[in-house]
Amino acid sequence: MTLKPRTFAFLAVFIAVTFPLLYPLNISDRVSPEAVKFKALVDSISPGSVVMVSFDHEASTVAEVRPLATVLARHLFSRDIKIIGLSLFAEGTAIGNQVLSLVAEEFGKKYGEDWVFLGFRPQFQAAILGMGESIPNVFPRDYYGNVTDTLSLIKAVPNYSKVAMVVSVADGDLGYAWVDYAYTRYHARVAAMLTAVMVASYMPLYASGQLSGLVNGLKGAADYERLLDKPGAAIRSMDAQSMAHAVILLLILGGNAAYWWGRKK
Amino acid sequence: MTAGTVVAAILTLAIFSFLYRENPFFRFAEHLLVGLSAGYFTVIAVQGTLVPKVIEPLKAGDFWVVISFVLIILILGRLTEKTRPASRIPLALVIGAGAGVAVPALLQARILVQLGATMKPLGSLTNVLILVGVITTLVYFYFSREHKGWWGRLASVGTWYLMIFFGATFGNTVMSRISLLIGRLEFLFGDFLGLIK
Repeated sequence: MTLKPRTFAFLAVFIAVTFPLLYPLNISDRVSPEAVKFKALVDSISPGSVVMVSFDHEASTVAEVRPLATVLARHLFSRDIKIIGLSLFAEGTAIGNQVLSLVAEEFGKKYGEDWVFLGFRPQFQAAILGMGESIPNVFPRDYYGNVTDTLSLIKAVPNYSKVAMVVSVADGDLGYAWVDYAYTRYHARVAAMLTAVMVASYMPLYASGQLSGLVNGLKGAADYERLLDKPGAAIRSMDAQSMAHAVILLLILGGNAAYWWGRKK
Repeated sequence: MTAGTVVAAILTLAIFSFLYRENPFFRFAEHLLVGLSAGYFTVIAVQGTLVPKVIEPLKAGDFWVVISFVLIILILGRLTEKTRPASRIPLALVIGAGAGVAVPALLQARILVQLGATMKPLGSLTNVLILVGVITTLVYFYFSREHKGWWGRLASVGTWYLMIFFGATFGNTVMSRISLLIGRLEFLFGDFLGLIK
């Protein structure tokens, strides 16, 4: 068996990621301004208010979105802010429910009063616009099969008018849809927690103020954990992230140097 | 350690085996993922949508939903050649309503507001950079005039902006993909092998 150069590249990245996971190095501690602004945004919401968290992602990006959603739910519950969870992407449904129920249990929050998980609804345009009129009309039953009209939290929040902020935890374009329909049509305050791959394309919406807040991937989650002074999965992963970036940088430089060297010869 | 953790670890290793070469373990895990996703989506759609939005209202005597139900059945017409034309009715409704809803919203959110965001006082370097970026990138995408002379120089500035965007996107993509690898390795070394405390 001959080892190809890419085998060494895989091996280098594997070691760069694994070593800091097993032996934490604590090399990264700079917090991004976006995370600071997002935390301030949540801090500006008064206790007892309601924030809608939409799990708009696939299962494949769980490594990135779960730390984001978890740190957000912890921050919201720690400030006694109530959460209405939902998903506009079928695969995000179970993950969303899992994250909210675990964090709610950690903070002793009661289902139906402090948090509700509505489940999944297809046709995101219709769902987002419909909730601007009536949440129970779009979700007659929640994820557990309860009639939503009977849940005290939903009774108090008939539509976006009583929602302090909508946060889309997204790995694709669904965050745009919240801006396009909930913000533009109903003036709901919209923020997004995104996988890093999506951040550059959301930046114009953030710069224009249509997105009130934006958190960037695992790095953003780690920043948020630092700001809350509650180290978790994201901070633990950032050493691995930094090491992997350093190795990839070296591989790019090495590859280019080899290319130029070969051309010169 | 639960049985689920062991199954997840084996399937993760099966998918990782693709790094060596395509093999039956990888294909099995890949097919399992596709099948499970389809099954999961079906269950979620039936339990979360069909039952509360169609079946239950029908049981409660709300016969307006019969219209939706008929449209659902018509969509299934795509399955055979003979009944395919019938599926065009619900599709036309979905496309028509979708476009009607999307066009004004997108025009407002993606064009008008974004245009407004570029028209800011030029007192700060950021605002100048944004304005120059928007104009030169638009010049780059204006193909009715040859990119020569001063027009060409403007277009090449637009190219630089595009390259910076692609670079930022690629950098973020690398970060995102490494995050996924970290998640899996954390699972293997933590949940499965118990080496991460």
